[in-house]
Amino acid sequence: MTTSQPVVIVGAGPSGTAAAAQLGKFGIKSIIIDEAPKIGGVIYRGPFRDSDDLPHLDDNLKRAMSALRTRFSAQKQHIELLTQTRVLGPEGQNKLLLNKLNSLSNLAYQDLILATGCHERSVPFPGWQLPGVMLLGGVQLQIKSGLVKPGTRMALVGTGPLLPLVACQLHKAGVDVVGVYEASQFHKLAKEAIALLNKPKLTLSGLSMMAYLEKHDIPFYYGWGIVDAVGDETLQQISVAPYNECWQADVQNAKTIDVDAIGVGYGFVARSQLAMLLGAQHQYSHVSGYVPILDNWLKSSLENTYIVGDANGLLGADAAICEGQIAAIRIAQKRNKITPKKAAQLAGKVHRKLARIKRFRYGFDRFSARQFGLLELPKDDTVVCRCEQATRSQIDKAIEQGAKDITTLKMRTRIGMGDCQGKTCASYAIDRLQQAGFTHNIGTIQPRFPLDPIPFTLLEDNHETV
Amino acid sequence: MKQYDVVIAGGGAIGAACAYFLSRDTDLSIALIDIKKPGNASRASAGGLWAIGESVGLGCGVIFFKTLSKLQSEANGKDIPVMRPHQLPDCFFEFALTSNNMYPELHKEMLDRHGVDFKFERTGLKFIMYNQDDKTYADQILSGIPHLVDQVRWLDEEQLKAEEPYITEDAIGAIDFTCDHQVNPYRLVDAYLEGARQNGVDLILNTQIDEVLRDGNRVFGVTTAEDTYHCKTLINATGAWANELFNKATDMEMPVYPVKGQIVLSERLPKVLRGCVSTSDCYIAQKDNGEILIGSSTEEKGFDTSNSLDKITELSQGATKCLPILKQSNIKRCWAGLRPGTPDELPILGKTPGIEGYLNACGHFRTGILTSAITGKLMTELVMGKPTTLDLTPFSVERFYS
Repeated sequence: MTTSQPVVIVGAGPSGTAAAAQLGKFGIKSIIIDEAPKIGGVIYRGPFRDSDDLPHLDDNLKRAMSALRTRFSAQKQHIELLTQTRVLGPEGQNKLLLNKLNSLSNLAYQDLILATGCHERSVPFPGWQLPGVMLLGGVQLQIKSGLVKPGTRMALVGTGPLLPLVACQLHKAGVDVVGVYEASQFHKLAKEAIALLNKPKLTLSGLSMMAYLEKHDIPFYYGWGIVDAVGDETLQQISVAPYNECWQADVQNAKTIDVDAIGVGYGFVARSQLAMLLGAQHQYSHVSGYVPILDNWLKSSLENTYIVGDANGLLGADAAICEGQIAAIRIAQKRNKITPKKAAQLAGKVHRKLARIKRFRYGFDRFSARQFGLLELPKDDTVVCRCEQATRSQIDKAIEQGAKDITTLKMRTRIGMGDCQGKTCASYAIDRLQQAGFTHNIGTIQPRFPLDPIPFTLLEDNHETV
Repeated sequence: MKQYDVVIAGGGAIGAACAYFLSRDTDLSIALIDIKKPGNASRASAGGLWAIGESVGLGCGVIFFKTLSKLQSEANGKDIPVMRPHQLPDCFFEFALTSNNMYPELHKEMLDRHGVDFKFERTGLKFIMYNQDDKTYADQILSGIPHLVDQVRWLDEEQLKAEEPYITEDAIGAIDFTCDHQVNPYRLVDAYLEGARQNGVDLILNTQIDEVLRDGNRVFGVTTAEDTYHCKTLINATGAWANELFNKATDMEMPVYPVKGQIVLSERLPKVLRGCVSTSDCYIAQKDNGEILIGSSTEEKGFDTSNSLDKITELSQGATKCLPILKQSNIKRCWAGLRPGTPDELPILGKTPGIEGYLNACGHFRTGILTSAITGKLMTELVMGKPTTLDLTPFSVERFYS
C-alpha cells in the first residue's frame, strides 16, 4: 500500500508525539489531535501559562519535557498539530468527528494511532467527594500545569512509585506533607528487587526520593491506607489505618490527621473509550481495566488502527515512546517506505528496550496489585457513581438480587449512565462483580457517542468537513 | 441438564414481561436466558406508552412516515409533500390500548409486591402543530379514530402555552392524546425481571443460546455453552434476532429484521415538559431524572448500531425548533437500538403451525415497551391453554405464508 494520506494520531503525549516524530523520519506526514493547547500530554505538558522557571520540578521531568519538544520540533515540517480539539467519536467509516473550540468537523484517516493515555482509578470511601480530596495525578497536575499549591497541609494515600515522587514535588512547592501512606507492605517491594534492577537509574532515583523524604522528616508508611475523610464543607481530617495483606483496614488502630487536602492514588485505568467506540476488541486486565487486544506491532483488532502508550495498559512514558515508534515503523513498512527487514531490525531495538521497562514495571505492578480490601471502604450510603448518585448499598442489593454483569448493574442502579460515562465508577463496579465471583463475560460500560457533550446549538447549522 | 416447564429466550421488555406474568399467574417452573447484545431495543427505547400516538404514526415512527408521505407525494407528481397519517389496523389499536390499560395497576402491583418502581407517569402525548398543514394532518388523524374522540383534547395556542410554556411560541396549538403515558424503559424491564426472580424464575443472564433441541416437530429445549435446558415450551422473545431462533426451531424463516433507531439524550434539565411531545420531526420526552430524550431515526442497515451525525443533527434540529430551551443544553449521549421490524408493522405472536412446544413473542417493532404487558399476558394464556384475551389470528406467523 502506498499513500500520501497523513496518519491521524489522537493524543500529543509521549507516545503520540513519538509516533509522529518517527513517521516524520520516514517522510510520512501526520496530524496530531490533542485536547490541550500544548503538546506533551498530561505528564509532560508543563504549565499552561508562560513560565520557564520551574524550581519545584525535578530535573528528570524537565529533561523529559524538553526531549519530547525536541523530538517533535525536529520533524515539525511533517506534522500538523490540532490543539484544543476533542474527538467526539467515529463518524461513518474511517472518519472521526472533531470538536475544535466549538466547531464540528470530520477528519478522514487511512491509518489511525490512538495514544489517548489513561485516567485515574477512582476509589470510593466515605468522604471521597469532599473538596480537598483529589486523585494523585490531579494533585501533581496542579503543581506541574496549574502552578498552584493544591493545599497547605497534605497527606498522600495510595500505592506505587508516584507516591514518593508527588510527595517530593509537593514539598519542593512548599506544601507541608504530613505523611505518605503506601497500601502495600515493604517486604513485597523487597521481593521485586530483581525486577527493579531492570531500570537501575529509575530505581536509584526512587531511592533518592525516599532519602529526600527522610531528610525532610516526611514520614512514609508501608502497609497503611485511607479509611475516610471528613469536613464540614471542605476536607478537614482523614483517618488512616494499617492495611493487612488484603488491604483491609484495621480500623481499631486507625489514627486521624488534620489536613486540608489529600492525594489519593490507587492506580490508573486505560482511556479506552474511543477505541471501544471504534469497535476494537478489548480484554480485562487487573492493573489497567479494559485494554485493547493488540499484535506485536500494537495493531488492534481493527485493520488500520494502532493503540499505543498507556491507552493499552499502564507502562509509563518511556514505554509509551517505544510503542509510538513501533507503530510508526509498521506503518512505514506497510506504506513501502522501508523494507520488512529494515522494519524488523528497527523495531527489534525498540522492543528490547520496551522489554526492560516492562520487567521493571511488572515488578511494581505486583507490588501494587490492588487488593479487595479497598472495596470494603465505602459505607452503605457512600456514593460510588457521582453522576447518578448511586450508592454502595444499591450496588450490594443489585448483586444480591442476581446482577452478574455490568449492563444489568447499570440498568438497576444507573451507574455509568451519567456524564462521565462510567470513568469514575466502572472500576469499582467491575471489582465488585469479580469479588462476587463473576469473572466471565461481565462486560463493560459501553462508551457512547459523543465522548464529550455537544451543545445543541452546534448542530443548528450544517457542519463543515475538513 | 436442567428441566423447566417454560424457557424464555430473550430478556428484553417482551421476554421479561412473559417471565413476570407466567410466574405471577402459574406454578410452572420457568427459566429466562438472555445475552446482552449491542442494539437491544429495550435499552434504546423512549419508554413511551403512546397507544394512540403510535397507532396513528406519531412518536417513534413519525420520521419514517414523513419520508413515506414525501415519497408518495413525489410519486403522485406533487411538488409539496403532503403528510398523511399512517394508521395501523384496528387489531393493533386493540392490542396497544389493552396493554396500555394494564400499566397503572401493574405499576402499583410491582411497587407493592416487589419493591420496584418503573416510574409510570401520566403525561399524555401532544402533537404540536406549527402551521396549517400540521392542522390538516391532525384533522386527518382524528377523522381516522372516531371511536377514540374522548381520549383527545384540542389545545389552542393559548392553552398550549399555559400547559407547556417551554414549547416554542411558533406553535399554533396541539392535540393531546390523554391516555398516552410514559415509563422508564430500563426500569420497566428491570422490574419485570426482579418481579419474576422473586416469583421463582431462574434468570440465566449473560448466556447465549446456541442450539434448539428438537424431536421431529417438537421443540424440547435449548443448549448454551455450559448447559442444556429442557422445556415443554420455548418462547422466542429475541427481538431483532428472532428469525435466527425461529429458524433453529422450525427450519423456516420469518420476516423479522432489525430497524435501526438513533436517539439523542440531553443533559439533565429542570422539569420543562409536563407531557410527552411529538412533532412532525421527532418525539420528545422528558424522563423522570430530567434528561430529555429525542428520537428517532428509522434505518434499515442490518445489525449496525453506529451513530451518524446527519441523523443526530436532524433530530436535534427538530427538537430545538420545538423546545428552544434545549439551546442551553448539551447532547449528553446518543445511541441506537434495533427494532424488531415486520413488513406489516404488526407483531408475530403465538404458535407456528406444525411445530409443538414453541411460541413466538416477536416482531414488536416500535412498541415493545407499550405492548409488553399484554404480550406477557397472552403468552401466559397460551401456555396454560386458555382462551386468549385478544384474537391472535391477525398476529400469527401464518399470515406470511398464505
